[in-house]
Amino acid sequence: MKTFFDALLIVPVSDPDDSRRRRLLNILLLGTIVATLLGLLAVIIDTVTRGAATAVESQSTLFGIVLATIGILVIYQINRRYSGRWAAFLFLLLLTGVFSVTDSPEQLTGGRSLFLFTIPIAMSSLILAPGASFLVAALSSLVIAILALSIGQVANLFAIIGFFMLALVSWLSARSMEQALHELRVINANLDQVVIERTQALAQSLERERIEAGRSQAILNSIADGVVVFDTEWNAIMANPALRGMLDLPLDQIVNKNFRELIEHPYLSARSRNLLNAMMEHDTQPPSFRIEWDKKTLSISAAQVYDYSKDRYTNIGTVTVFRDFTREAEVEKLKSTFVAIVSHELRTPLNAILGYAEMFKEAVYGPMNDKQSNMAERIMKNTQRLLRLINDLLDQAQMEAGKLTIQMSPVRPAELLENLHGVMDKIAYDKGLKLTSEIEDNLPEVLNGDGARLQQILVNLVNNGVKFTDKGTVHVRLFCPPGSRWGIEVSDTGSGIPEAEIPHIFDTFRQVDAAATRVHGGFGLGLSIVRQLVNLMNGEINVQSKLDMGSIFTITLPLVIPQESGETWRT
Amino acid sequence: MSELALIIEDDEDLASIFAEALRGIGFDVELLEDGKVAQERLKNGVPPFLILLDMHLPHISGADLLTNIIKKDEKFKKTTVIITTADARMGEAYTEQVDFVMIKPISFIQLRDLTSRLKPRNE
Repeated sequence: MKTFFDALLIVPVSDPDDSRRRRLLNILLLGTIVATLLGLLAVIIDTVTRGAATAVESQSTLFGIVLATIGILVIYQINRRYSGRWAAFLFLLLLTGVFSVTDSPEQLTGGRSLFLFTIPIAMSSLILAPGASFLVAALSSLVIAILALSIGQVANLFAIIGFFMLALVSWLSARSMEQALHELRVINANLDQVVIERTQALAQSLERERIEAGRSQAILNSIADGVVVFDTEWNAIMANPALRGMLDLPLDQIVNKNFRELIEHPYLSARSRNLLNAMMEHDTQPPSFRIEWDKKTLSISAAQVYDYSKDRYTNIGTVTVFRDFTREAEVEKLKSTFVAIVSHELRTPLNAILGYAEMFKEAVYGPMNDKQSNMAERIMKNTQRLLRLINDLLDQAQMEAGKLTIQMSPVRPAELLENLHGVMDKIAYDKGLKLTSEIEDNLPEVLNGDGARLQQILVNLVNNGVKFTDKGTVHVRLFCPPGSRWGIEVSDTGSGIPEAEIPHIFDTFRQVDAAATRVHGGFGLGLSIVRQLVNLMNGEINVQSKLDMGSIFTITLPLVIPQESGETWRT
Repeated sequence: MSELALIIEDDEDLASIFAEALRGIGFDVELLEDGKVAQERLKNGVPPFLILLDMHLPHISGADLLTNIIKKDEKFKKTTVIITTADARMGEAYTEQVDFVMIKPISFIQLRDLTSRLKPRNE
């Protein structure tokens, strides 16, 4: 119904004022038609009830009604198709024309029908233009003046003044209404503009965010390492596809799950599970470690994620990076197995060479001259050197593979020194050096330690001292500082270590001077092994050195006195 | 009469060096290079004065010979047992069970000096 009236009344034009006026005009036209039809009904009833006496009067009224109806339909068409202004103008003319014949001139100029002329005046400012009321007022004035003249009267001046007063009021009200509407439209338009701008800005920022998120996701997706982000409760918030491939699990078994569930997976070795539990429980775990997942070795590094807001950092979770370390781990294992086998296979023939050389020197098969004996000794020395190198390599390989362990048993420090002298005295003497040693009185006679490894540390340090000292002494001191530690100090009067090199002397395969390798021999493994052994024993090693003044190596180790006295210790 | 020393060692050169060291100080030396052969000899032969036993042997390891025969049979009660191994860890584990543990490389002089101390002087 509403759409029917809308279709009937609304004229679709772009100017909102024009559209409003034309719609208003249509409403008035419709109302007029209804009024005309009611008039027609009244005439018919009148004719029927009063008979033929009024027939002539009724005929003229009927004629007027038909004329008005045709006029209204024409105006309606003009209004719809052509021009609202013209339609309104014609309608006002028609209305005024019709009114001017509806009653006797007496009644129209000063009687009961005078008010009829006010209707088009009031209408005109609404349907034509605010100021049009003056035009219609003038028209109406003209009409009543003519009508008055036709019956020999003077124009009704009061009525004319009244018409213009009404025109003024109509003009003012219509004008202020139009202004108000205009302002409203401007406000609406501004509002629309603001809404459009805001909507666009929102859409742009959403788009930016989407692009940004898409970019981050793309980066994450293309990383070869597995990345998983946990919240503070260790729930996996997100994970990248590389992780899925690495763990061989669908992402939905990783994301939105708690990490505690994941580490119960049977692929994980017990040792790895402990490491991961430690990672979750302590923030101070090592930043990177390795786990075994099925047949793979994965290296894991974890970092806390902090968000800076409201002037402080808040921990919002952990980002964990998984790297497939399987190949590297295999290579490492292969390397250490290789070194172990090679070392063992090298040692046996070297032992034979050493033995035969000794037999020469000991003249097992008959007397030797000095030169021959000397040569045999050289063979022995070089073989021993080779054997030491192989031992070092084997130790290094074992330590790298994490296979070297410390085995504690009761140790007599005095015996360590005795054995040290047995091995090193001759080497020092041959170089014209003195090897001296002392044990502080307060050092316990027996303490817990790995005898073989402590011996190795002493031999390596003294060997190093002898190697880099040309004259003077290498001195070994076993001491017991206050507190639950004991120590080994090896000092020499040798060439010393340049200050810049001190931080590097414990590095694997490192010698202070590359040329030193040629002069002194060795791989530069001795000190590296010493440090690694000391670390395995939970000890510390320090070095003080001045160029051309010699060096002092100091080791401190935890002091543990064995429960039972050292009867179980054998040589 | 010379004392008998049994050298059970699969490396020919080492065996010959050890044998020379022991002969030099007057032992009678019997060489065995295989675990299985050594097992037969230990089971059925006369107990020697000294056994020099390598831990790594073909077929039957020195460790097995030690635990299953030498330590079980009463006839070896008076025999001095020296084990030889390249593995210091392994050597340490046997210090309780044998008289001496020698870690390879083993020096000719070292072995000669040690065994000469063991040999009875009242010949």
